[in-house]
Amino acid sequence: MPKVKINDKEVEVKDGTLILDAAKEAGYIVPTFCYQADLSSLGSCRMCLVEIKGQRKLQPACITPVLDDMSVETNNETVSSARSAMLEFLLSNHAFDCPVCDKAGECELQDMVHKHGPHKGRHAEPKHSFHNKDYALNAVIVKNSNRCVQCQRCVRVCEEVVGRGVLGSIGRGHIQEETSFLRTYLDCDHDGMCIEVCPVGCFMRRPYRFKARPWDLKSTKTVCPYCATGCRMTIQERDGEVVRSIAMPEDGFNGKMMCARGRFGYDFLNSKGRLTTPLIKNKDGVHEPISWDKAIDIIKTRFARTAPEKIGAVASARLTNEALYLMQKLMRDVVGSGNIDSSSRWNHSVVEGFVQATEIPKGGTSIYDAMDSDAIFVLGTHVSDENPVTDYVIRNLAAANRKSVFVATPRAMKLDSSAQMVFRYKPGRLAAMLGAIVGKFQETRGDKLSSVKGLSPTLSKDLEELSKASGISLDDIATLVTRLNISEKITLMAGTELLRGGDGIKGLGLLRDTLRALGKEVLVMPILDRSNQRGAWDMGINPVFGPGYAPVEGKWKGTEEMLEAALDGDFDVLYVLGEDIQSMFPDRSFATMALSKLDFLVVQAAYMNETAKMADLILPGGSFAEKHGNYTNQEGRVQAITKLMEPPGDGKTDLDIIWLIGSALDSSFGPNLPREVFKEIQSKVDMYSEVEPTGFISADTGEEPVYKFDFKEALVGSGSVELLDVEAKDAEIKIGTDGDHPFMLLTGNHLFHSGVMSMQSELLKGLLGKPIIEMSALDAKELDMNIGDLVTVRGNGFEADFVLRIKEGTPRGVIFMPENYQEIAVNKFYERKTGIPGVNVTAQRG
Amino acid sequence: MLSDKAKKEIEEIHGRYHSRRSATMAAMQIVQAEGGHLTEADMREIAEIVGVNPVQVQEVGAFYSMYNVERPVGKYHVQVCRNISCSLLGAEHIIETLEKKLNIKTGETTTDKLFTLTTAECLGSCGTAPMMQINDDYYEDLTDAKVGEIIGKLK
Ligand code: SF4
Ligand code: SF4
Ligand code: SF4
Ligand code: FES
Repeated sequence: MPKVKINDKEVEVKDGTLILDAAKEAGYIVPTFCYQADLSSLGSCRMCLVEIKGQRKLQPACITPVLDDMSVETNNETVSSARSAMLEFLLSNHAFDCPVCDKAGECELQDMVHKHGPHKGRHAEPKHSFHNKDYALNAVIVKNSNRCVQCQRCVRVCEEVVGRGVLGSIGRGHIQEETSFLRTYLDCDHDGMCIEVCPVGCFMRRPYRFKARPWDLKSTKTVCPYCATGCRMTIQERDGEVVRSIAMPEDGFNGKMMCARGRFGYDFLNSKGRLTTPLIKNKDGVHEPISWDKAIDIIKTRFARTAPEKIGAVASARLTNEALYLMQKLMRDVVGSGNIDSSSRWNHSVVEGFVQATEIPKGGTSIYDAMDSDAIFVLGTHVSDENPVTDYVIRNLAAANRKSVFVATPRAMKLDSSAQMVFRYKPGRLAAMLGAIVGKFQETRGDKLSSVKGLSPTLSKDLEELSKASGISLDDIATLVTRLNISEKITLMAGTELLRGGDGIKGLGLLRDTLRALGKEVLVMPILDRSNQRGAWDMGINPVFGPGYAPVEGKWKGTEEMLEAALDGDFDVLYVLGEDIQSMFPDRSFATMALSKLDFLVVQAAYMNETAKMADLILPGGSFAEKHGNYTNQEGRVQAITKLMEPPGDGKTDLDIIWLIGSALDSSFGPNLPREVFKEIQSKVDMYSEVEPTGFISADTGEEPVYKFDFKEALVGSGSVELLDVEAKDAEIKIGTDGDHPFMLLTGNHLFHSGVMSMQSELLKGLLGKPIIEMSALDAKELDMNIGDLVTVRGNGFEADFVLRIKEGTPRGVIFMPENYQEIAVNKFYERKTGIPGVNVTAQRG
Repeated sequence: MLSDKAKKEIEEIHGRYHSRRSATMAAMQIVQAEGGHLTEADMREIAEIVGVNPVQVQEVGAFYSMYNVERPVGKYHVQVCRNISCSLLGAEHIIETLEKKLNIKTGETTTDKLFTLTTAECLGSCGTAPMMQINDDYYEDLTDAKVGEIIGKLK
């Protein structure tokens, strides 16, 4: 390990450490512009010049590695004057329009000049100006190139992290402009990464334009409420309006990364449609306000007079761990019912299999550990759309550290371009593909696999059939098997495609065990699309397992069984928290009928939704900006959300409402403060006993500790692994296509949407515009349709209109439809238990 | 739309490169040889063929002075170096002379579409400054008289 002297201090660092990092270790910060840790090195701005003893010219610290015995000066006279000179050049063309620049007050250039000078310029030449007025690059980005320092962070982040590469450096020298192709409109991912990394006021947020200076803002640290990647972020408000969310580079595992939803989807917090008071349905079926006391009283009476097995609760996987824990405590310990579930999309039996296959109860896995594998196999999850920042991490780290990525999904996605191999299996046929992979291992190394539980001895004989069923050639399977064979550490990332119908769950478990039997280190990471889905499972929001995956006694119902019972007139009271069963249950007419048969439906929600419209009683719950608590992301990382403002009107936080009901029924219900509830969780749920949530304010000191980038102490430990002994099964997915309905309908989250919550965000709704479907170019050609055509989709006795988009890589005979439209109930295309629906698509002519 | 001939030539040239995108420069040259400059549509098409984003084609086009991005040029493209050595030895004066002789300003094309006058950064011929490049040829150690003679011959 080389020893180096930085100014007066000696440090010993790893081979290949940059002078910049060595200096940091010695306690000296070298100023930089073009350097950014997760991007490729450029070394172009020369802000970081330092003097190395014995070398005549100054060297850039951000690209020069240390050598043993090096002696570096970072702050002497020569270095300071070079720094000042570099800044003088950067300013020679700068617009100096700080008073009207959104960046002023948090601008790296302002800070740098303030600190390192010069305070007078000597350039007499006229300034080069790229344009007169700021120009919009799309709905979220506005650009001013006259402030640019040509650091090219924007260009690199768009290419290396986001994977789009739609920005370029046009021209050379001082007239180089970082912008889009011919400055035209950018039809990109709208994630605003270019804005986040720009050190000056070139790339700016359109929605934040001229709204505030940093010192006007009140901020709170929180977690993005959309997907389970769980990006840490800060949301900021001015005069009661949330005006932006920004990443927290030093504090979250996501560094500067966020996607369009996280960065621009905050505006649902300002949505006018908030529920502000409890509402009861009167005789005429109209909702009218009542007081909290009365509302709680009604619930108490209903709960008390109904048999526990006819009472149930469905809670959204976007509530905090505290609220979820308290909810199940209310149901199980006070009401005496285990009828609870955390999703209306997936059957709980599939969830149990998934939890087991992904080994969630074994504890958390940091994505950085996962990315330290030789091979990363992403299967059954469209991460690029559902978990964009997970996609960024995979792309960026795989390229930087030369890791192999394999992708197996039924639809094309952006990560395909970062993968060594892409397997586009037939929809609903992941099980067959995984069977073929395991079968191939069996054929070649079968002698080593005797310990693998549940392995059918004949898989290797069915290879041909499995390959045909999955649509993946035997050659490709063989190549993948060879590649996995030479890897020592392998991560399997699996997600919502497995949860939708149970396709591939058993196969995933078999692949995992097969690889282990061959002596490989295997990590499994669930990739989930709701911010606290993993937390909801950890808290035992499931009819079969309780907190920490401990099995529960008795036979209880999940969402689907509760609705079935209701339809039979055998279920009376349903308490729905934050979910919209009507919109999300994959069979709309069944859900509507079942819900209407209930005796009493209570819906707790922040916004009016389709299920709430049917409710006998509505309780106004709080949004994530209005409460304290914790979310557990897909890695098992527990992270705090903190309160920015009060719920509007008479609204209360979900935790408070549950507590009110609980203590009305039982005066010794327990604590209601988030911090105390979390303590109770820690004492009752083993997995959480040692966790130190990121961002949680310490109860003892009232202060928030300082975190490392990838804070491992926040990962959950292991729970009752052995106890959850459910048999993981692969569901046989039926395909509903026929002559009249030739297209398989696939639904899922769009890049700009995630569940019904994003529909409250005007900004996000605006990005996608009208409801769309995606189709392959060849199918469109055969039907004589073009991009932008208005088309009608029909199936299951329902029809709706969409704008056609053509997506490269979409398989033939498949259309994709985002599942989040308010105006179109996508779940009307579904009939329960019939697998993937078949639909037809016709053009609207004329 | 690229001509079939250009498309064919680009297809042929791919084989010489390790990856498709490496053929970007060659493809641009083929297309420019036909139309004299590169239009927005040309760049989009080239990008599609070599598998990059259009902005990356524009980057290359804007980096090298030999490409004319969205800039139709005359039969003779006159590029005068105005970097340090040439400037010290009178590049500005040479530019003025050319503007007078051709009766256009820098950046413009003569009405008969014969000449386009632009400036360039260092063309790597400091030893023979001041200098200019007309299409693919260098003209060095320029004086007013020499400039007059060169332009006269081309007219
Ligand atoms: S928003 Fe994202 S995809 Fe779009 S230009 Fe910026 S970095 Fe690239
Ligand atoms: S636009 Fe911003 S990020 Fe991009 S090069 Fe200029 S200063 Fe750097
Ligand atoms: S939606 Fe997911 S990936 Fe996007 S910012 Fe939020 S947590 Fe991160
Ligand atoms: S930060 Fe080192 S050269 Fe830009």
